[in-house]
Amino acid sequence: MRTMESENIIEMLHITKEFPGIIANDDITLQLRRGEIHALLGENGAGKSTLMSVLFGLYQPEKGVIKKNGQEVKINNPNDATALGIGMVHQHFKLIEVFTVLDNIILGAETTKMGFLQKKEARAKVEALSERYGLKVDLDAKVEDITVGMQQRVEILKMLYRDNEILIFDEPTAVLTPQEIDELMATMKEFAKEGKSILFISHKLNEIMAVSDRVTVLRKGKYIGTVDAKDTDKQSLSNMMVGRPVQLEVTKKPASPGEPVLDVKGFCVPARGHKRNAVNEVTFQARAGEILCIAGIDGNGQTELVYGLTGLEKSSGGTVTLCGEDISHASIRQRGGNMSHIPEDRHKHGLVLDFTLEQNMVLQRFNEKRFQTAGFINQGAVREYAEQLIEQYDVRSGQGPITVARSMSGGNQQKAIIAREVDREKPLIVAVQPTRGLDVGAIEYIHSQLVAERDKGRAVLLISLELDEVMSLSDRILVMYEGEIVGELDPKQTTVQELGLYMAGAKRMDMTKKEGEGA
Amino acid sequence: MNKQGGSLLQKEGTRTVLASLISIVIGLAVGSVLVLVVGLFSSNLGLASAWEGIRLIFLGLFSTGRDQVGVLTWGFNPRSVGNMLFRATPLILTGLSVSVAFKTGLFNIGAPGQYLMGTMTTLAIALGIPSSALPGPVIWLLAFLSGILAGALWGCIPGLVKSFLNINEVLACIMTNWMAANLVTWFFDGSKFCNTVENTKSGYIYKTSYGLTQVDGAWTYVDGNGVQTAKLGLDKLFPGSQVNGGILIAILIAIGIYILMSKTTLGYQLKACGSNRHAARYAGINDKRNIVLSMAIAGALSGAGAALYCLAGNTEFFWSTYQSLPAEGFNGIPVALLAANSPIGVVFTGCFMSMLNIVGLQLTNLTAYNEYITDVIISVIVYLSAFSLVIKMMLNSRKKDKGLDAAPGAPSPDSPSEPDGSDAVSTEKGGEQA
Repeated sequence: MRTMESENIIEMLHITKEFPGIIANDDITLQLRRGEIHALLGENGAGKSTLMSVLFGLYQPEKGVIKKNGQEVKINNPNDATALGIGMVHQHFKLIEVFTVLDNIILGAETTKMGFLQKKEARAKVEALSERYGLKVDLDAKVEDITVGMQQRVEILKMLYRDNEILIFDEPTAVLTPQEIDELMATMKEFAKEGKSILFISHKLNEIMAVSDRVTVLRKGKYIGTVDAKDTDKQSLSNMMVGRPVQLEVTKKPASPGEPVLDVKGFCVPARGHKRNAVNEVTFQARAGEILCIAGIDGNGQTELVYGLTGLEKSSGGTVTLCGEDISHASIRQRGGNMSHIPEDRHKHGLVLDFTLEQNMVLQRFNEKRFQTAGFINQGAVREYAEQLIEQYDVRSGQGPITVARSMSGGNQQKAIIAREVDREKPLIVAVQPTRGLDVGAIEYIHSQLVAERDKGRAVLLISLELDEVMSLSDRILVMYEGEIVGELDPKQTTVQELGLYMAGAKRMDMTKKEGEGA
Repeated sequence: MNKQGGSLLQKEGTRTVLASLISIVIGLAVGSVLVLVVGLFSSNLGLASAWEGIRLIFLGLFSTGRDQVGVLTWGFNPRSVGNMLFRATPLILTGLSVSVAFKTGLFNIGAPGQYLMGTMTTLAIALGIPSSALPGPVIWLLAFLSGILAGALWGCIPGLVKSFLNINEVLACIMTNWMAANLVTWFFDGSKFCNTVENTKSGYIYKTSYGLTQVDGAWTYVDGNGVQTAKLGLDKLFPGSQVNGGILIAILIAIGIYILMSKTTLGYQLKACGSNRHAARYAGINDKRNIVLSMAIAGALSGAGAALYCLAGNTEFFWSTYQSLPAEGFNGIPVALLAANSPIGVVFTGCFMSMLNIVGLQLTNLTAYNEYITDVIISVIVYLSAFSLVIKMMLNSRKKDKGLDAAPGAPSPDSPSEPDGSDAVSTEKGGEQA
């Protein structure tokens, strides 16, 4: 029955996976020990997801072998992976929204008798698992009605229900509140204690240091090394990941806020497809020379607030005053006169991906005298301007100004947008998750740019879901919960835990009173 | 030299042209197989006829008939070339119409309707204004412009419906096509433009070379008294053909569209809306206005195609259109696809499509094959023109594979952003920032 018990439950040896034009994994070796939490750390595009897709049977490697318990195995598709006890929680959950939680958990692994579903048995098993690991879920709720945190617990239960012993978590904390992250970490440790082996993909150093036993670092598709978590620290991990010393903390002088640039009063924005407001009676001011951050869990009205402020969505009430001008009903172009906007979704709003870099650089400005004569685009001026921005903001691309935006890396696409928006030199910069999905090096750069703009006396309205970013970059924090502002905090005096309580709606300030005092 | 050749192969444009050529060759090859199979299995044909048929498919444009012994003769055939250019004129313009819409992210399947509306107004103006009232060229110009205007207005309808009611332009286009087809029939049914002079031509509208003229106090249509597009010497170049100055106008319009789309702020806006409507809106570009404008331009081009075809003076319009839509409209789609939406490319693919028509005629005239086989070949090529995108993707991936192999061998002087180089650069820059 029992063969040689090797120390490593899964070994991926010398894996090489190529895509046309790029080697995503170049001779990577990863050894997962029984009962350990093994973090896989790397910047975007380092090859983490590709490696996990190879393990999960989604890709076939060109070279290399995978061994389980010392025996070579062939994983041709996810079914093979499941049969070997490998389960994965994807970054974007794979759940059917209109099914109940229970149906989602048993989907694909249903217990049946003569072709009929045996939901009672399944329910008993799921309930037992949920009890044992403290994974609270409502089995009869539809997935579309439950919180993101609970959806993740459903995904975890899916793996447990299939008796998986190797659990892969792909960036599991991106969508969670600090409290939920703590719970997840505890659950992961519990799994490890029971002998399950966990692969934990992340680029958040705090979390990796908190839970993992060992860390494997990848950079640009290459294996850099595997270290024991207790023998290392955040700084050296990030150096390994980026390949050069990086600065983890944002250095900035204390803010010296000036006059209010943006004045929002009783602002409401309707939700798509619902009657209620996604943004409800929001009132705040953003002052020159400060970074005002709107924190909150994704989906609490931040996106709609930005759409309303920038004119992408019509507001349903309240006033917005920008630089003393009422812009509540102004067009997007009129608002653009005093506002630049680093959008949340750089592919949807930020760039025309099939345009070249230079064409994207003048997306708002092509009509300016400088770039056109009698309706004809002044090619030379556009090229010159693009080259200047590329140089000044260090945007890297294959062919300079004539690179097609689609072919650029995410980080450089974002840098291009930031170059364009910052260079428009408007008094207000609305930056929505400006560092989402970017690696440490690019984040460092973008943060320093935003601080520099603040120091030039511009107002920066930052919308962020990353707590580290909120705490380190902002001068003042407003917390949004269910479309309302529930708290105003000073990052120097508050803690991540307190911020988390506001974000989860467990705590709130009486904002009307605060406004009353202000007026 | 070598390097230049490599960069030419890697150019996007080269690959596009290559993909289109491959689709054309495959289409012609499939047609040849068909001709062969039909030839072998028909009693009145044979291998010899099949071989003739296949040669005609590829070289029909250069066929000059048969000599006394019945052998196919080849050479420059001015009549075929001239007719090809003549028939290409409307195709180029409907092709432009479809490609402009494509570039702005819209599928203009409404070209037939716009074409019909252009035909109707052009004929109405050209035949409705008495020849004595205005000089011929002025009537011609008025008729031409009115055709453009009618097409533009008709194209606006799907554009308006799309931008303000968010109804898919394909649906709206299909409906406006049939509205146009019935409207045109109804209009001509009650008009005085139906040909009553030539008995065999009942059901047709007068050629525009007929003019409304007062003879002995009664208004009648007299041949040669109307308007027709100037030949501009092209009839001397291609004797015996129907060609006229319309082809030159079509080419000029194609160049104009190229300039509009690639050199002007308007073209920039239209393309931005087409490639990414959200980003265009984000940048403050009025996406609704641009959708309407793009459809109006597309409609105007279809209308211009119709006007030039009608105003040739030797074309007749069968006015009971309520049962069928003009092929020129739909054929604009493969013309645009084969040209990969390049306005200049459309000139060539438009000529190619009309060449297939000529080939069909030659095949019917010179062999026992019937004309429908060329329709099959045309449809295969039309089908493959949509396929040219797939072929292009295949070419792309092949080129990338090759690029990968070549990359380590390629010397780095002209590509300083090799992995190692960029690493070094990033370290330096990082140091500066820190």
